[in-house]
Amino acid sequence: MAPPGPSCPPLSQSTRQRVPASNAGALPADVLFDVLLRLPAKELCRLRAVCRSWRALTADPLFAGAHAAAHRGPSLLAKFRDDEAGIHVVDLRGGVLKRIDGPGGGHELLCTRLDLACVATKGNSCHVLNPATGAAYALPESPAPEHAGHENSRDPYTFFASGRVAATGECKVLRVFNRTEFDAFDQQQLFEVFTVNGGASNARWRARESHYLFLEAINAAVVGGVVYFLTDCAYDLMLFFGVNTGVHPDCIASFDLGTEEWRRDIQGPISRSLSMDDANATEEYRSIWHKLTLSELKGSLVLAYHRRHLSLDLWLLTDYENGLWVKEYSIRTESAIPTDEYFVKPLLVSDDRRLVILLASTGILLIYDPSTNTFAEVEMRRLDAVGIYAGNLLSLQGGDMV
Amino acid sequence: MASAGSGDEKAAAAAMITLISSDNEKFEVTEATATLSQTIRHMIEDGCTDGGVPLPNVTSKILARVIEYCKKHATAAAGEEGSSSSFSDAAFLEVDRAFLEELEEFDDAFLEVDRATLFDLILAANYLDIKGLLNLTCQKVADSVKGKTPEQIREMYNIVNDLTPEEEAEIRRETQWAFE
Repeated sequence: MAPPGPSCPPLSQSTRQRVPASNAGALPADVLFDVLLRLPAKELCRLRAVCRSWRALTADPLFAGAHAAAHRGPSLLAKFRDDEAGIHVVDLRGGVLKRIDGPGGGHELLCTRLDLACVATKGNSCHVLNPATGAAYALPESPAPEHAGHENSRDPYTFFASGRVAATGECKVLRVFNRTEFDAFDQQQLFEVFTVNGGASNARWRARESHYLFLEAINAAVVGGVVYFLTDCAYDLMLFFGVNTGVHPDCIASFDLGTEEWRRDIQGPISRSLSMDDANATEEYRSIWHKLTLSELKGSLVLAYHRRHLSLDLWLLTDYENGLWVKEYSIRTESAIPTDEYFVKPLLVSDDRRLVILLASTGILLIYDPSTNTFAEVEMRRLDAVGIYAGNLLSLQGGDMV
Repeated sequence: MASAGSGDEKAAAAAMITLISSDNEKFEVTEATATLSQTIRHMIEDGCTDGGVPLPNVTSKILARVIEYCKKHATAAAGEEGSSSSFSDAAFLEVDRAFLEELEEFDDAFLEVDRATLFDLILAANYLDIKGLLNLTCQKVADSVKGKTPEQIREMYNIVNDLTPEEEAEIRRETQWAFE
């Protein structure tokens, strides 16, 4: 094998030699590498049972990396409405790459961007699943010692968010007790952090400070190890009853999973453009609460402002310290988004600026192409929830899993 | 398909290279055909093709097939260059499309070989670094493996199962989803 190999991934000669040669006059390892690279992950996992050299090759992390590069295109985690327990790894063409068993029983899939899937209930149950191995891990339900007795154990109304801390590589889960009801301002929201597979010393929830505002937990987004929250629409209701709390609808709280501290709140770009002197503007201002969604695009926090039957504006937070926002997309949606859709979440942007948008109430994914200003629906069963799968189905390493 | 170019281009196209197979058979090919192989292209650039290019890893039987492929695809490459020029009227595009279809048919027919020949072609394409041919032949093998059980693959490719029953059971447990 004197000449440089023409395979897709850059692999050193020494790397290739680590793969044992094939037996029985079959293809040499580096050619087998090129052949197997063309097969989908499911086929490859089945072919591990052919012989030792095939198993060694397909389980090699370098092969897994090359395979991910050759089969580029994001994978999503999806929970379909017609499958209560299953979590599916799917591609953007709607093809199912793998299904694993989740716990079922009302567990919702969190919108994460990890090599893990997180599912949780309002009733304080949270499981972390590894889509590659199928392993599942249930997080402890008991609250941090400081919070014991303060959480509403009969109706915990929990919310979970999960992300990875870049500096340490740890995967942490934030738990919020006591999601507010309109009349529940006397109850404080409690915040706790758990490190997934953090060892015996981290095997319990750690109580963290509460935020001074009531936060709207359903709509949180995790970007670069920071959990962002909008404020609860109870503040909108108070405004309706004539109590101006001074909390803007696009006020954003953020919790750093690394330091486990709250950061300074920031102001979104929407409310500041409206003058409160004008009656119409006041009406518009109040309605903002119901038009905002937080998400992540291209590694930045994005605030989506969806005006039904009209437009979808996506504002990217480009500078947290100085509170700078850039309007990255301004899309005329008109009839492309159903009128009864109230939860529009941008998920992904591709290299060619095409945008993948989840219509959460309708349960479908749309792909918006800015070059033609058109929408296309991904052919897929109705979705309950969706996240990004950042892992590799060929990887057998447990990662964070126990 | 080769369009009339300047005198220099004609001269370049006419430059001939001699390839020598492992069983010492000599093949005269144009430089345009030979340079589909990156390996040979580098040798030409380094000026070490005088007296022929010995290819000790490739038999005359396989080399003849490889040259057949390269001739066809070198013509195709020349055609593509032509179409990217100012001649982009409908008639020209029509010819182009027909030619691509013909090329596809050629590739399909080219792959109608027994497994040993297919493997030899892959090895030759790998050694000579001919991307198109390597792609074509590797894809053919990959397609033949799709949807097969491990048993069927072992049988197809005469692979001895050197896994212990315990190891095989473990793999099947780990990858059970892939067998569903």
